[in-house]
Amino acid sequence: MLNPLTLAVVRHKLKAVTEEMVETMTHTCFSPILNQNQDFSAVLLSSDIQTVSQAERVPIHMGAMPLAVRLMAEAFEDDLADGDILMANDPFWGGSHLPDVTLAMPFFHGGKLRFWVALRAHQGDIGGLSAGGYSAAAREIWHEGLRIPPVKLAARGGVRRDVLRMVASNSRRPEDLEGDLMAQLAAVKAGAARLEELFRRYDAEEIEACVCAVLDGGEAIMRQMLRGCRQGRYEGRSCMEYEPAPGHLLPIPVIVTLEDGRAVVDLTQCPDQVPAFINSPYANTRAAVMVAFLYFSGDEQGLNDGSARAIEIRTRPGSLLDPVLPAPVGACTSSTACALIEAVLQALGGANPERAIGGFARRFRFALAGADRQGRPFIWHYFFNKGGTGGNRDHDGWPNLGGLHNPGGTPSPSIERTEASYPLVVEEYALAPDTGGAGQQRGGLGGLMRLRYDGTTPAVLNASGEGVLVPPFGTGGGADGAGHDYRIAQADSGERRLGVHDSGVVLEPGACLVCTSAGGGGYGVPCSRDRDAVRRDVAFGYVSAAAARAVYGLEDAPEPPDRRDSVHRTA
Amino acid sequence: MMIGVDVGGTFTDLVAADPLRGLRFVKTPSTPDDPSRGVLDALKLLADELELTLDTLLPGIELFIHGTTVATNILVERRGARLGLITTQGFRDLLELREGARDNRYALRTAPPTPVIPRPLRLEVRERVAPDGTAVLPLDPESLDAAIATLRAAGVDGVVVCFLHAHRRPAHEQAVRAAIAATGWEPFISLGHEILGREGEYDRLSTAVVNGYVGPGLKTYLNRLFGRLTERGITVPVQVMQSNGGVLPVAEAGTRAVGAVTSGPAGGAMAGALYARALGLPQLVTYDTGGTSTDICIIQDGLPVERNRAELAGLRIAAPAIEINPLGIGGGSIARIDAGGMLDIGPMSAGAVPGPACFGKGGTRATLTDANLVLGLISGETFLGGRMRLDVAAARAVITQEIAAPLGIGVDEAAYAIHVLATSRITEGIRLATVRRGMDPRDFALMSFGGAGGLHANAVARELEIPTAIIPAMASVLSALGFLAADVRQDLQQTVNAPIRDLHDGRLAQVFGALEVEGRAALETSRSRGGHAGDIHVRRFADCRYERQVHTIPVPLEPDDTAADLERRFVATYEDLYHHTHPGEPGIVETCRVAVFNTLPKLALPVLDAAPAGGVDCAAARTGERRIFIGAAVMAPVYWFEEIRRGMVIAGPALIDSAATSVLVLPGSTATLDATGSLCLSDAAAPAGERAC
Repeated sequence: MLNPLTLAVVRHKLKAVTEEMVETMTHTCFSPILNQNQDFSAVLLSSDIQTVSQAERVPIHMGAMPLAVRLMAEAFEDDLADGDILMANDPFWGGSHLPDVTLAMPFFHGGKLRFWVALRAHQGDIGGLSAGGYSAAAREIWHEGLRIPPVKLAARGGVRRDVLRMVASNSRRPEDLEGDLMAQLAAVKAGAARLEELFRRYDAEEIEACVCAVLDGGEAIMRQMLRGCRQGRYEGRSCMEYEPAPGHLLPIPVIVTLEDGRAVVDLTQCPDQVPAFINSPYANTRAAVMVAFLYFSGDEQGLNDGSARAIEIRTRPGSLLDPVLPAPVGACTSSTACALIEAVLQALGGANPERAIGGFARRFRFALAGADRQGRPFIWHYFFNKGGTGGNRDHDGWPNLGGLHNPGGTPSPSIERTEASYPLVVEEYALAPDTGGAGQQRGGLGGLMRLRYDGTTPAVLNASGEGVLVPPFGTGGGADGAGHDYRIAQADSGERRLGVHDSGVVLEPGACLVCTSAGGGGYGVPCSRDRDAVRRDVAFGYVSAAAARAVYGLEDAPEPPDRRDSVHRTA
Repeated sequence: MMIGVDVGGTFTDLVAADPLRGLRFVKTPSTPDDPSRGVLDALKLLADELELTLDTLLPGIELFIHGTTVATNILVERRGARLGLITTQGFRDLLELREGARDNRYALRTAPPTPVIPRPLRLEVRERVAPDGTAVLPLDPESLDAAIATLRAAGVDGVVVCFLHAHRRPAHEQAVRAAIAATGWEPFISLGHEILGREGEYDRLSTAVVNGYVGPGLKTYLNRLFGRLTERGITVPVQVMQSNGGVLPVAEAGTRAVGAVTSGPAGGAMAGALYARALGLPQLVTYDTGGTSTDICIIQDGLPVERNRAELAGLRIAAPAIEINPLGIGGGSIARIDAGGMLDIGPMSAGAVPGPACFGKGGTRATLTDANLVLGLISGETFLGGRMRLDVAAARAVITQEIAAPLGIGVDEAAYAIHVLATSRITEGIRLATVRRGMDPRDFALMSFGGAGGLHANAVARELEIPTAIIPAMASVLSALGFLAADVRQDLQQTVNAPIRDLHDGRLAQVFGALEVEGRAALETSRSRGGHAGDIHVRRFADCRYERQVHTIPVPLEPDDTAADLERRFVATYEDLYHHTHPGEPGIVETCRVAVFNTLPKLALPVLDAAPAGGVDCAAARTGERRIFIGAAVMAPVYWFEEIRRGMVIAGPALIDSAATSVLVLPGSTATLDATGSLCLSDAAAPAGERAC
């Protein structure tokens, strides 16, 4: 029998190995942005390639890694040696989008393959139409950069300079890419070194038994959660704002069937793949589905592939969620992942309304290129105002987190730094009342940012993202949140609303951008909201008195003493 | 006589240093309803020991340094002052928007944070300052008067004032203070630019808000304490330990309250630094395991590592402070079988109430302390000097029920599994804290303190491959000891935001010179309020980054450094941390900072005589034996820490008890005493001429 002490300690040590890999990556990765954003994830996989332990940094990386490592392992099935390190990024070889490069190292002990040590990092530039990837103009995968099917980056411990050179040469920043790949290499080696120590301390067969128990534990948690849901067939449906047809919505239908603690996720009804960067390769699709189940279960201990055993995913090759060549996939980890997570959460919410979560604001960003006050060119990215998150049975949603694929990932920059470094003036940054979906638990509020372009020459704005036409969904009778609403006010051309795919929009100096971000979806019917909470919402200006009466049915809604108005009046 | 007093959640620790009487320490229960009573209790106890009375003891005190959890508790328990905010028009919600970040991305059902200032009390006034410090919009007196009147009518205790770019032009924030004063109202005022003089509106705002939130409570407490001490004859002002490892006199400490939120752990780090210097240890990692958590600190070249930003109880504090890496493992940490059927421990804690099951205060969950009691590692009779009887039967029952039965193992095995898992958690926490600094734990010495640390120190050192674990004789009062290693400290900073290479023509010297003048003036103010007149010394830092980066790293500078020196030091510091550099990428100075110190009298650690040749028999220190379970049941001899002398070599398995802690010596390890009277646990064979007992 496996000693429970050994199991508890080995499990903790395996977790610590991945944490140390992340710290090693942080402290050796080269491109200044990567070592500060930490857009990377480390995992240990069992010899049969199931994720045993992971350092959570980017949820969407996680479920995708086993598939990538499996295909890498298969590609070198008869040709794996101690000290080999494999590399791949190809979406059609288990990858997600091209900037995400995975390194995987087989770990041998006693002449036997025992673990895989892997680290996936989002590289700054991997070639393609536009610097940094995410090119909306891509119509096929080759537009998006360099495809790397499984190759050996190191053979028997020796780094293959030829491969490194070839890959780095395909980046606009070859030194950054090379430095970051070397950091990934150092991190997986650090992971392997720590495993070595573990195998010195514990018997190899005992460790294998622990791995099995950890995976079984993950499976048990997921099955228990699924059994706690009403068994049956549940549908979820989300939509994407698809570019080639303005205003057009592309449905993402999901059918989840629960039976005896097992889930079948049917994605075969979703549309055919499109010649735009929103296709999601199978590994990314799997990852998004797994993220949704983990969010729904809320048990971090279940974060391993054991939980995936309880979930079967069915896709249709050639579809948006299982595309074939030459589909471009650049936005799959953000836009498509969000839409798919939403649809799965909706279906699961039907199976267990108690655990349902309202929709989150999607990501809607833009970049501004122009000349600053000294006439020097600049490029600025809008990273503020992320929007609200959905309510759940116990709590209202949060303001300013957004993005289900990575809620609250990286902090926004400071307003003072922004104003000091760019020809921009932030005139207002505040919560936007009445944006949160009404409900027993209200969706988190969206925000309002009023931004003035103060440059010397016209600037060009390029937008990307989702969430203008599709608002965050409400659940269990809760209302949808308000969608994103970005407007541009110019002296000459008046006001126009910004679409998620607008590009080349010219801003004259003095132009004002008024960006209201989406509010989260509500949970439960609004009239069942605690009356004191509604009164507080009105008193705090989260909800207008009119909405409190009309939507929440509050009879005695007070007129709030809105101090902001009084300030404006004195102006 | 110099006195350090640390008021913790459970105990009030006092250390007294006196040239004639040497080092003394006492420990008394804290009195949470009025912590100043516990301080008086401790002083009374000391007076008794010295055969003095309070009235004869207090006038002889030359230096009194105090650390307290009052500010921390106010913050953690969210029972701070009722505050109002006055801010730039359009920005009252910055506090609630935070910066759009959070940790734990899988937990989507957590409650949204409640801002400590509710929205109706966050008021806006018309004013605007540009990034270069010009007033684009003058401060509008009408909206200001309205805001002040509203807050006054609402009955707030404190007002936080934070305007955009106020670090460039403080005049508008100062004008608000004047306007409030002109009305005759006297709330507790926190001005953003005074609390933190650099760029970053959320950092300034949040730090000033924390200051206002804990300020009134801390100030009231400090005034009461100082009043009581003055009544009884103390003639020097109380100095208050700060999170940055320095001290401030009581008057300033009350108004700069945010500086006191981690004063206790900072004292521990300062003590670690004191030992590192005394023992000549270039790299030391300390861990302090108490009731609910373990605090890990890194001491490099005799100084604790600092940081510029931390989150505490969900709130950003962006003032310079000693870096504390908290880990959710302590004596009260709850062990449980998780949903996957595996044993796990922490971060949930039974705290002091109900506490571990063996405390007999209604605790029903299995904790680390219960496990250590079942294992015989702590004694039900001598825990905390016998002041708290422990119920072994209750501990066995709870571990049987919660852990052993579900796992189908014996109670001893279950307790041992909890003990070993806790060791593992501490080990990996320390490893990460060192790796995070770009360093290898094997290059460090390890120091353990806090009530629950000594039972794990030997095993933690072994797992980290650190040759020696050090447990100071005063491990249980180490924070209070560390207070007596502190100087008065003022931190000042200025945002520069320029490429290092552009800082020619002595601009660097000019910025630092101005900061230093300001810092010396601040120290003079402290002195004029009754502070000590010691030597003044200055440490300079520049917070630098590469051009494309977001976060800075602190770069220490020498007084005469030029921009070229700074560039060189930045690159070297970056290389230490990240193991590479970016030739050709410009380095940027974001902020220049100075820490100005007024040297205080220092405690000197005792230096024990060398061991007599031929070794010393351990029998004199031995008090008995206990049955312990460390994977197998063994009888372990028990020694009394204070009776151990240099030259004794205690071979494991053994237990070393003291009034406040227990130390486990593992089989294969030995314990000896070093020149500072600290226990050293190591696997090395006993030196020739000494014989193991």
